[in-house]
Amino acid sequence: MQTEALQYVKFGIFSPEQVKSLSVAKLTVPDTYNEDGYPIDGGLLDQRLGVIDPGLVCKTCAGRAKVCQGHFGHIDLVRPVIHSEFSKIIYMVLQSTCQKCHKILLSKEQTEALKKKVESDAAVEELTQLPMPQNKEADKKAVKKIKNIKKCPHCGAIQEKLSFSMPTYYYLGDRRLKPDEIREMLSKVSDEDLGYLGMKPQSGRPEWTILSTLLVPPVNVRPSITLETGERSEDDLTHKLVDIMRINQRLEQNINAGAPQIIIDDLWELLQYHITTYFNNETSGIPPARHRSGRALKTLTQRLKGKEGRFRYNLSGKRVNYSARAVLSGDPSLNIDEVGVPLSVAEKLTVPFYVTEWNLEKAKEILQATQYPMVVNVIGSDGKRKRVLDANREDLIKALAPLQILERQLQNGDIVLFNRQPSLHRISIMAHFVKVVPGKTFRMNGCSTDPYNADFDGDEMNLHVPQTLEAQAEAKYLMQVSEQIFSPRDGEAKINPQQDGIIGSFLLTLEDTYVTKIDAEYLLGSVGIIELPKPEKDGTYSGKSIFSMLIPKGISIEIPSKNGKVVVKNGALVEGVLDSVTMGNGSKLLAKIAEQYGNEVLKNFIFNSAKLTQAFCTMYGFTLGIKDYIISEKLVEERDKIISNAKKNTQELIDKYDANTLETLMGRTPQQSLEDMILAELQIERDKATNIINQYTDKRNAALMLANSGARGGKLNLEQISMFLGQQATAAGERMNRGYKTNRLLPHIKPNDKSAVARGFITSNFLEGLLPIEAIMHANGSRVSIVQKGTGPAKSGYISRKIMNSMQDYYVFPDLSVRDANNNIIETIYGTDGIDPVKVQLRHQLQEEK
Amino acid sequence: MSAKKENLQINPGEPVGAIAAQSIGEPGTQMVLRTFHFAGIASAVTTGLPRVTELLDAKKVPAGPLITIYLNSEAKNNFAKAEEITKKISEIKASEIVRRAVENFSKGKITLIVNEQALKAVEMTSRQLAGIIKSKFSVDTDIDEEGNIEISAHTKKLREIRELAVKIMKSTVRGIEGAGRAMISQDQKTKEFFVMSAGTNVKDIMELEGVDKSRIYSNDVFEMNRIFGIEAARNGLIRELLKTFEDQGISISVRHLQLIADGMTFSGVIKGNSRRGIIADKESVFARAAFEETVKHLINAAAFGEQDRLNGVTENILIGKQIPLGTGSIKLAVKSGKEAKPKEGKEGKESKEK
Repeated sequence: MQTEALQYVKFGIFSPEQVKSLSVAKLTVPDTYNEDGYPIDGGLLDQRLGVIDPGLVCKTCAGRAKVCQGHFGHIDLVRPVIHSEFSKIIYMVLQSTCQKCHKILLSKEQTEALKKKVESDAAVEELTQLPMPQNKEADKKAVKKIKNIKKCPHCGAIQEKLSFSMPTYYYLGDRRLKPDEIREMLSKVSDEDLGYLGMKPQSGRPEWTILSTLLVPPVNVRPSITLETGERSEDDLTHKLVDIMRINQRLEQNINAGAPQIIIDDLWELLQYHITTYFNNETSGIPPARHRSGRALKTLTQRLKGKEGRFRYNLSGKRVNYSARAVLSGDPSLNIDEVGVPLSVAEKLTVPFYVTEWNLEKAKEILQATQYPMVVNVIGSDGKRKRVLDANREDLIKALAPLQILERQLQNGDIVLFNRQPSLHRISIMAHFVKVVPGKTFRMNGCSTDPYNADFDGDEMNLHVPQTLEAQAEAKYLMQVSEQIFSPRDGEAKINPQQDGIIGSFLLTLEDTYVTKIDAEYLLGSVGIIELPKPEKDGTYSGKSIFSMLIPKGISIEIPSKNGKVVVKNGALVEGVLDSVTMGNGSKLLAKIAEQYGNEVLKNFIFNSAKLTQAFCTMYGFTLGIKDYIISEKLVEERDKIISNAKKNTQELIDKYDANTLETLMGRTPQQSLEDMILAELQIERDKATNIINQYTDKRNAALMLANSGARGGKLNLEQISMFLGQQATAAGERMNRGYKTNRLLPHIKPNDKSAVARGFITSNFLEGLLPIEAIMHANGSRVSIVQKGTGPAKSGYISRKIMNSMQDYYVFPDLSVRDANNNIIETIYGTDGIDPVKVQLRHQLQEEK
Repeated sequence: MSAKKENLQINPGEPVGAIAAQSIGEPGTQMVLRTFHFAGIASAVTTGLPRVTELLDAKKVPAGPLITIYLNSEAKNNFAKAEEITKKISEIKASEIVRRAVENFSKGKITLIVNEQALKAVEMTSRQLAGIIKSKFSVDTDIDEEGNIEISAHTKKLREIRELAVKIMKSTVRGIEGAGRAMISQDQKTKEFFVMSAGTNVKDIMELEGVDKSRIYSNDVFEMNRIFGIEAARNGLIRELLKTFEDQGISISVRHLQLIADGMTFSGVIKGNSRRGIIADKESVFARAAFEETVKHLINAAAFGEQDRLNGVTENILIGKQIPLGTGSIKLAVKSGKEAKPKEGKEGKESKEK
């Protein structure tokens, strides 16, 4: 919905005349306020440049602060000064033109050829309305060639050596070129020749980069702040401009007084310095201008540049209204596409109600409300926002008319956008339906946490209320949670039961799970099902048959699971135990349901199955305690055997190495080979330990079931708690090797000891506790992973930014080709077949039909 | 119920570039954490996030070059032949078998102190080594009783002797230059032998007898481009990216990787996703300025009188317009008249209010 659209933006350089015509005031006084605290006329805060004090009126447009956007002024510089940011371009032009006749250093034939190219490019641009792709490499080469030409092909003048040193010094031979000389030279270059250099004289001639008048930005650009003490503090730019004006004035006085040339040159140089730092206070080769406190000034370039600069901070990223942020907590009773919004938030946020002649009655009704779902503001057809108060409610109702907008409080069923940072992918922002809840936190179903990568340990999330009907419709049809169950990355389910949902479905569908009729009624009742499945002979109900009640009829699928396979026939679970593979992330069962019944049915399946299985968890009394980690005597025996075995085998390898009989691995030194082999050996022993846990632990052990179902924690955790910790690695994945000069990790270890225990192999476990030496080694290992966690996201974040910036313009054209902003064809058909990666799971169906 | 192909089709307007970028960027955070799970086994090949960076930035020289050489029907099931080819490829540098080079500047001689153990390991003798050096650098060689090689440099200039010594130590004395250490491997499925080498020199290796030219593969995409052309480089990029992500246990739809590879190569040369690659070639001044080197782009735009036609995403966000992708790429023509008025008013007023 756009009323006016900007067509294009043209860049160029202002000529001194343009600067003057833009300017409303010539500034002459290098100061800001007079003793009375009023802006000085002709000073840097001249009232003709706009006003920032609320009481004053702009002398140019008579507008007050906020209404008046400000006006430019100018300073006449006594001597011309180079715009340092353009110094390289000035150098380029000087290099490519003759020092005597100022024509381009190319022969007639060469210029003719260039002319043709320029003209044909222009013709193509005219025709296609698209710029010709610029061959920057070729341009660079051309300039390189030009600068080696020693003799002008037009007048035959021998070219002297021209050199440039940062930031603003140019030399012809040994003689320094003054800015006025350079301006003279540049102004003699013809428009045509500039065209050959790729410049467009009509939008800026090179001599205009040598400044004789300086444009002064309006006061609004550099507002002064009044401190609590009543003291005024000026913006950095104002400070800089004061400096420029002071030096300019002194230079003028000296010239008028006929001061010696050296003094004049020094002041000129100083003026150049101030103007250079005014544009960029980080110019290389000169010290930055500093504040009295020693802080470097933030001048024009610094305002634009970098992450906190105008472009990335204020233009690419914008602040918004109609948003909220709160701590997040879990609520299994909310559907997966709902969000619990506390009443205090719902009262603040508003949704517009567009009054038309057809909904006038409804509008009157909601405007009449005096408590919670009520109207907060009325925006009149003149665009003025009025707060609804008890005092003016009746008047507003009377004045109610089409084209007005009522801002009513957020209520159940409204659609909102929910987001958690870092917003790494598009499903980090999804549309949820509002459910107003008591309390002070946002609430969400645990199944929907995966796309946000959220948990409830204090995470905060943001909420945005779309304000236009278009935005609401887009949110509802494109961004809704049920439309985002499958990830665009690989097309796999990312919204699914988590943790208790997984362990619950595991327990419920175990082979020996049977419940009584009452329990079955309770379980199914929790998800609103009032039928019972077919009972077993003894009148009980199998867990599988209860779960099957949720699966839509007509679903038949056989999928591999963690410990075997799961078979569903016509909506009934006939074989297998559900786990994290079949119910969790990337579940094929979920994909199948979406394929046959669509996302709405799948959404309810996920919600209901999570609820049912969580209810079963409660009924089962699933709990985890220390006792689950206390291992049998038999297992203790096995563990000790494994540990002594590991130590023994490592020692054998070391002995072999010492005796020089160790076989070296290909491409590795003997030491490296030893390390590799020891690591491999220790890995083998650890794997043995993992297998043994499974073998000797009760199948109903809670920790083991958690690991086997994939609900939370792996066997590795179990092993580290009950058996032994194992090898602590360095960042490079080696055994620990840094420590004292005598080649040992700690003073308690013999020098040069390579044995397993001396190099970070920990034989104790978390349950019994670590030995002091082991604790240090373990802490060392933990530190490594913390350091990695710190560096990782920073690096990958930068990569993301780079690819995002280079690819964000690519989109699918209606003919299914992929194009960029300039209509270049990137792919002739997206992904070679034009299939959406999100819908890839549906492709199985397509193949079956064929 | 039935899934027709149209149902699977991507929606026109879909911002596939942004989605592809997110699909690669999002698992990046997980990748770093998983990298150090990597245990032992000789392999200098970079994996994980550094490799992804290298590929996406189009670094000219990969940190861990690796070439896979398949053998022709004659050699692929013959271990002896395969081993022979491996030997021919495997690169041995003088520095690996020579302890150090001792220069005698007054006599103009260089003595190479050989590492006998290393020499034995690669099945070479001092005499052979001397012969190779003799023919390669056209110098006279002699062998003393300890097996060390004495070289007469034909010159007494300090600089030339030092340079010669450095050159000799850096030279390849056996195998193919740049190929690196080769080793023989066997395919798990087909049981055929193939050679892997920690270097890359497709051109020379292709000319060896017994090598299957049609299946040779280098992980250096720039070399693939030089020798087989841009399409090969594009496929190489996809394959390398896919492999790197799979190694980390991250599944990504190939479509995303294809799009990235196509974006990097559609111009005919490989361009990186960096300020000197794809982004530098963008037409829009604002898009470039908003990425990196803000002021440089603005200044150049002013000097060369550039124009920003505001076609891309960044530009439109900067000026506060709707972006031309997704639902924003569709325009609706409304008959001008009274009916169209109300909506216009609302938006305009709201923004003025602030």
